[in-house]
Amino acid sequence: MSDSVIIARHLSKVVDAPEAKLTILDNVSLEIQRGASVAIVGASGSGKSTLLSLLAGLDLPSHGEVILAGESLGMLDEDQRAALRAEQVGFVFQSFQLLDSLNALENVMLPLELEGRRDAAARARQLLERVGLEHRTSHYPRQLSGGEQQRVAIARAFACEPAILFADEPTGNLDAVTGAHITDLLFELNREQGTTLVMVTHDERLAQRCEHALHLEAGRLKEEQV
Amino acid sequence: MMNRDLPLASRLLLREWRAGELRIMLLALVIAVLVSTAISFFTDRLQRGMATRAAEFLGADMRISSREPLPEEYLQEAINNNLQHTDIVDFSSVTSSASEMQLSSIKAVGPGYPLRGEVRTSQQQFGGEQVAAGIPEGGTLWIEPRLLNVLGLAIGDQLEIGYAQLRIAALLTHEPDRAGDFYSLTPRVLMNLDDLQATRVVQPGSRVRYRLLLSGNEADLQAYRQWLEPRLEDHQRLTSVADDNRQIGSALERSNQFLGLASIAAVVLAGVAVALSASRFASRHYDTSALLRCLGASRRRALRLFLIQLLGLGIVATLIGLLLGWLMQWGLVHLLRELLPPDLPQAGIKPLLVGTATGLVGLLGFALPPLLRLGRVSPLRVLRRELTPLPGSAWLIYGLALGGLSLLMWQFTGNLPMTLAVIFGGALAALLLGSLAWALLQASGKRLRNASLAWRLGSGQLLKQPSAAAGQILAFGLILMSMVVIFILRTELLDSWQAQLPEDAPNHFALNILPAEEPAFRQTLADIGARSAPLYPVAPGRLTAINGEAVREHVTKDSPGERAINRDLSLTWAADLAPDNVLRDGQWWDQLPASDGHRVSIEAELADSLGVSLGDQLSFLISGATVEAEVSSVREVNWDNFTPNFYMVFSPGALDGLPSTLLTSFHLPPEQREGLRELTRTFPAMTLLEVEAILQQLREILDQVTLAVEYVLVFVLLAGFTVLFASLQSTLDTRLYEGALLRTLGARRQLLRQANRLEFALLGALAGLLAIVAAELITWLLYRYALDLQWQPHYLLWLLVPLGGALLIGLAGALGTRAVVNQSPMKLINRGA
Repeated sequence: MSDSVIIARHLSKVVDAPEAKLTILDNVSLEIQRGASVAIVGASGSGKSTLLSLLAGLDLPSHGEVILAGESLGMLDEDQRAALRAEQVGFVFQSFQLLDSLNALENVMLPLELEGRRDAAARARQLLERVGLEHRTSHYPRQLSGGEQQRVAIARAFACEPAILFADEPTGNLDAVTGAHITDLLFELNREQGTTLVMVTHDERLAQRCEHALHLEAGRLKEEQV
Repeated sequence: MMNRDLPLASRLLLREWRAGELRIMLLALVIAVLVSTAISFFTDRLQRGMATRAAEFLGADMRISSREPLPEEYLQEAINNNLQHTDIVDFSSVTSSASEMQLSSIKAVGPGYPLRGEVRTSQQQFGGEQVAAGIPEGGTLWIEPRLLNVLGLAIGDQLEIGYAQLRIAALLTHEPDRAGDFYSLTPRVLMNLDDLQATRVVQPGSRVRYRLLLSGNEADLQAYRQWLEPRLEDHQRLTSVADDNRQIGSALERSNQFLGLASIAAVVLAGVAVALSASRFASRHYDTSALLRCLGASRRRALRLFLIQLLGLGIVATLIGLLLGWLMQWGLVHLLRELLPPDLPQAGIKPLLVGTATGLVGLLGFALPPLLRLGRVSPLRVLRRELTPLPGSAWLIYGLALGGLSLLMWQFTGNLPMTLAVIFGGALAALLLGSLAWALLQASGKRLRNASLAWRLGSGQLLKQPSAAAGQILAFGLILMSMVVIFILRTELLDSWQAQLPEDAPNHFALNILPAEEPAFRQTLADIGARSAPLYPVAPGRLTAINGEAVREHVTKDSPGERAINRDLSLTWAADLAPDNVLRDGQWWDQLPASDGHRVSIEAELADSLGVSLGDQLSFLISGATVEAEVSSVREVNWDNFTPNFYMVFSPGALDGLPSTLLTSFHLPPEQREGLRELTRTFPAMTLLEVEAILQQLREILDQVTLAVEYVLVFVLLAGFTVLFASLQSTLDTRLYEGALLRTLGARRQLLRQANRLEFALLGALAGLLAIVAAELITWLLYRYALDLQWQPHYLLWLLVPLGGALLIGLAGALGTRAVVNQSPMKLINRGA
């Protein structure tokens, strides 16, 4: 129990839709151990991304509770949750979410600079080298291929050495070969840094590389393997 | 936290700049500051220049007059304040030749006279005029040509004044400070102050005016004025440019008001530019904000980072704008150097402050609301891009910004009614028309379902988000409105000046015509080709009592009333009301029942000053006889038009039996001046006054002001266009993206072009409609409450402004969206995504 870095209890998410209330998540409970890698798998619209956003504290559930790194998210306000994210959490997104106006190096530097670290540039350079982009540090996102952009995003996600990394369809916008490379990179870094990895994907093969897989169907957990 | 965020925000700003994200916003801000600075600089200098020019009518910037010699300390303090100075002594005295005598008005001037403007002299009676260097040398004098005729003298002859014999060195053809005095009947003699003692004319008790002329820079004059005013005694009078001279005063006031309005227009343009670009800045940073929050920045910190960036941008833009504005103003002055008064004074520091205030108030007022939206971006946006923050209630901030801008405008113009007219007119029109545009867009949505694809695509952009479209229409409408208001005002201002001084404005006054000579005089005027106003009988007389009380009890110091009772008034009688006189109170003779007593109609300003109203009984002393008359009407008189005007007009018969002469004014084209010889020969007793020089002086000033007004108009129009184009850029992002999407779906470029053109033309037409309605409302308010002009609807503009808006914005939009039809769609989509 003490080693669970994420605990969710009876999570539900209900939103107002034009005709009636729509239940996106229905009574989901789970626990994720420190250092584990977990895939959340399901078809489009099954509620994967919503679950991810609740676990990461980007959104709040309609019912239920999330405990992230020992803190109950429901007890924190938005700014306290942001502070918790800054300390514990990294993200990798399907659409990369790099800032167009910053080059590769500056994108990786951003979380380090927000933390006020003086070695931001050196550390970012080191990470870009680790993901194989040491020659493209001054390129802007629009000058990089999709795979390269995602590698920058991965470097950024690991910059502050997060305890937990949330990845939302990290290979969703990439071709199979590039996707495989990105996946390799993600797992390698995960191992090196001992990070807990929570990944949303609809790719069964990708899910199989994780230690555990959670299957969502219409907002309910089909099978609990954690 | 702040000390950590400042460098970070600066770095982010610098990186964004390098990536080319900020250029349009910076451009809009720079234009805003530049325009308001340049206009402010230019008008500041122009106003000073015009004041200098107007000062010619005083011969100085400031004049102190008294019936007794002025205290020595007045002069000493002027010297302490670095003011230039010279003395004048004015008096009337008989001048004589061996055989003839003539009462003349003599002006003894000290070295340096005139401090402003120039004296012109000639060596022959008609023509050959030259600018005089200095004043008459000791022992000599300059006289008005008509005195030569009366006294039968020639240049070089001796003229006797009191005990002195002085040689006539030249004919005086123009003195700058004559204008206020051209009703005076006696010919002018200009002499050197050093010779005054020798004449022994000025003795204790003689009627003399001592004047001290002063000029210098504004601050020194102001300081001196403050020192002087509490010390002024009853018989001493201070006159400055603003207090004097009706004709030039009103023209200057109007042009100042116009320039002030141009500045207001510039501030409005600046505000629109800032608001649009800030809103674009905000909408392009939703992702950044969401990501920052995702990466653990608190809401306040994210907001602070953006605020610092915006402020930094504002400061940089303000500095650049100030510099460019200053340069531009120099360029303008340089371009206009031929037409502007020479030695245009340097501008003060005020324009710099105004420019800075415009930049910062505009930035904070108009940029804050969209920026605050950035603080409300949900971090969840990183997963769900469609989450845009809701607009908050920005009323308070916009209200504050509007208040700030109003203060700025007030500062700019120093005219509260004018500022309020623009703010209220603009706000009211914007509110009304913003809602109207929104409703119109809503309603037309249904009707357009069956229109062609280009129409549906074009109007669809506007209909999809009626509130956003209404916002854009409002923004473009405000830009067009500023331009239209300035255009309307310029046109009507110039017209009113033209009307004030038509080409055939009377340039001569003829006085002392004997009643028996009237038919012959009319005939001669017709023969020499002069156009005359009616001939008025005139009897000089004094107002002595009001309702039996001595008139002195009724006047205050320095009021028009005091000036009027201290001299003989020209009294007249007439059966009909003069064409440009307007009755304010009471009725003209023909509307009144017959009465035994005499009646008089009094000029409105004088009536107010004396506290006289209908029914009061006035007593006059005319040629030794006392005449009583009841006030039966109060007239508004237009003093600007160079035709004979009178403070008092009696009912016919009231002055019968009293000695009188006739007076008129007429226009004689300068090339027909030879005819004057015949006139003076035929009517030797008549006094002829030429005001052509004064008219010329007035025209020159009006021409310069006109030109300045034209240039300022061009300036406002150019600024308007620039802001319009810059603002248009801020609305292009989504259009580019959607256009690219349509092209990937197979839309032909022709179709897209058409849709774009239609959309912007529609936007422009609606903005134009808004602009003309708002402009009409504002000009109506302005004319009624601030400018005192007659307002009429501008029908042609109702057609032209919406049409012009459609054309202009349609064209600009088509140019701006060229990328949609020419660039690779993939590129655009990647950029938009």
